[in-house]
Amino acid sequence: MGPLSLPDVSGYDEMILPGGKVRDAYKGYHRWLLGQVHDGLLRKRKEAELQFHRVGITFNVYGEESGIERLIPFDALPRVIPAADWRRLEQGAIQRVRALNLFLHDIYHDQAIVRTGLVPAEQIFGNAQYQPCMQDLDLPNRVYSHISGVDVIRDGEGTWYVLEDNLRTPSGVSYMIENRRMMMRLFPELFAHQSVAPVEHYPSLLLETLQESGNGPNPTVVLLTPGRFNSAYFEHAFLAQQMGIELVEGADLFVKDGFVFMRTTAGPQRVDVIYRRIDDDYLDPLAFRPDSMLGVPGLLSVYRDGNVILANAMGTGVGDDKSIYPYVPDLIRFYLDEEPILANVPTWQCRDPKALDHVLAHLPELVIKEVHGAGGYGMLVGPAASRAEIEAFRERLKARPANYIAQPTLSLSTCPIFVEEGIAPRHIDLRPFVLSGKETRLVPGGLTRVAMSAGSLVVNSSQGGGTKDTWVLEDGSC
Amino acid sequence: MKLSIRHRTEYRYSERVRHSTQYLRLTPRPSRRQRILDWHLDLPEHATRAADGFDNILHVLTLDHPHQSIELTARGQVEIVDEDQEDDDARLSPLVFARTSALTATDDALADLAQRYRGPASLDTLERLSQRILDDMPFAAGVTDVASDAAAAYRGGQGVCQDHTHVFLACCRALGIPARYVSGYLYSDDSEHVASHAWAEVWQDDRWHTFDVTNQTRRPRHHLKLAVGLDYLDACPVRGVRYGGGVESLNAVAHVRLTGAEQ
Repeated sequence: MGPLSLPDVSGYDEMILPGGKVRDAYKGYHRWLLGQVHDGLLRKRKEAELQFHRVGITFNVYGEESGIERLIPFDALPRVIPAADWRRLEQGAIQRVRALNLFLHDIYHDQAIVRTGLVPAEQIFGNAQYQPCMQDLDLPNRVYSHISGVDVIRDGEGTWYVLEDNLRTPSGVSYMIENRRMMMRLFPELFAHQSVAPVEHYPSLLLETLQESGNGPNPTVVLLTPGRFNSAYFEHAFLAQQMGIELVEGADLFVKDGFVFMRTTAGPQRVDVIYRRIDDDYLDPLAFRPDSMLGVPGLLSVYRDGNVILANAMGTGVGDDKSIYPYVPDLIRFYLDEEPILANVPTWQCRDPKALDHVLAHLPELVIKEVHGAGGYGMLVGPAASRAEIEAFRERLKARPANYIAQPTLSLSTCPIFVEEGIAPRHIDLRPFVLSGKETRLVPGGLTRVAMSAGSLVVNSSQGGGTKDTWVLEDGSC
Repeated sequence: MKLSIRHRTEYRYSERVRHSTQYLRLTPRPSRRQRILDWHLDLPEHATRAADGFDNILHVLTLDHPHQSIELTARGQVEIVDEDQEDDDARLSPLVFARTSALTATDDALADLAQRYRGPASLDTLERLSQRILDDMPFAAGVTDVASDAAAAYRGGQGVCQDHTHVFLACCRALGIPARYVSGYLYSDDSEHVASHAWAEVWQDDRWHTFDVTNQTRRPRHHLKLAVGLDYLDACPVRGVRYGGGVESLNAVAHVRLTGAEQ
């Protein structure tokens, strides 16, 4: 097989313009690509798979036989973001996370947002993610979400939208780092000729964020994992190792005399900051789910006394719930007195009778989501649904309108990937990771997820989605 | 009315427990209605005192060494001021208590039961609901256990104060009415009823109202409140986790006596 040709694209493609030219940000990469042959790139792909298996980057799949691990498909064609686009994304993500942290502080203290009537009280206090145990608790730097994943997409016109915020235990950052390492190993020459902003310092920024989230100097920081059966266990082990901190499970920690201790061969050692990758409900079996031993009995009492820091804080889920999402632009205006830099996807809240009328009249064009649902359950994708499915959903919607939101069906932008036959466009999204300590910041990049089959909009790794390296170009290079 | 309370809880284990941690809600919070004259906890080791998310007084007891039994005693004297109403703590939004919880989730039968009392919420309607619940599931010990949820207990047709309270809470919440679980002690000259007790409070007209389903009373004159929460798990006097220990046997005795002039 010979040199590669670029495919035709429809809609917004990150690399290719209608008519076959490439965008400015891809010019450098494209020059390099013209010198490559297809077989050579396929060989590189094999090499990458082998390497990923060797370093153990695998992914546990829920619902399959236990112990099954598989690779998340890696695509070697980078997603390139021009410097100017990134600056806007960066500012927008920081703005959003700052507003969400202020919102969380507010609802767990004075509740100005409720008193002014901007968000109805039952949307907050009736939400199962609002944790009564957080009410009136003061947190250092007033930070609730230390690590936030802000999922963004471009639509068919190339406009950026925030799809959702992840303020609980967002995962995927290890792929951002490993994908870059892999690209540098496979194609070192690419990085010699272009200024791609580095992402390798993420673990040290994360450690700094965790350290400054505590009260005193030199805090002992640990990473609390649910264990090796968790789908993100590789990432937990990876980040702990990169930061040089202990990776612990619930049984390695205990509570005594108002503090949290870690069992070590040298005796109990006090723990000051816990980077927890366990959901709220499992953190303390004495306060939450009694049937789970993943957490630490007594942890909540120490946390409420201010003697240990949890990152992220408990009760952040009320900030990233689908029922709160439509309010985020207003939250930015309310808390920061700024206009939102990044747009929300227009959302109809079916609890509002006027919105419901509109939604019922346009079901075949819309995506309807359950307010508290996740992972695509209880969802209607109008354009892909049959007449009967739409009518059945109409009844559910009428019966419990407050349980649903509706959005237009967006066509995600595409980015080319390497396939057996050559190069083909696939839909993508992007998750940058925002760190909030004394200040709010992010490394230039993120996790780009790819729907690996043609036309598919599903980028979730649990459903066969893949990843690719994300390049933020530094100024002056194109 | 002055009450004297002595509540002893003893856990014995068939094997050695390596480590145990417990949340104890065994200390009443003073309020206008309940004055704490004196109160002591006798515990195997020092416990850390804190307040939980519902403002209950919480002691955290950790035994980080091998043990085969745990003995806890709460004792003290309190005065219940019958004519005063409860302090209404406004720190937490009452709407929190309109949420369902694992132990108060409704099934079809409970949803149907609640549905019969839909309409403008009133204390009289809720009193009829409370009466209906006791009719449908008369008091009987030993039919349910501490882990029974509202739906299972109601299906079983019998239960204790914990079950009556959970069923009542499930119905209130299905009707959108904030309602919370209360654990505490009850003075009774009827020896059939244990002195440890549970009842409900309902938020209406900007204050909490007592509904003791088991005793069909709305006047908590013999009730000493220990803790409140969404359900039993939030408010129970002792909640623990242990590593090792094999089979546990529990022996709990609570005595509530009238003291002073009224005796």
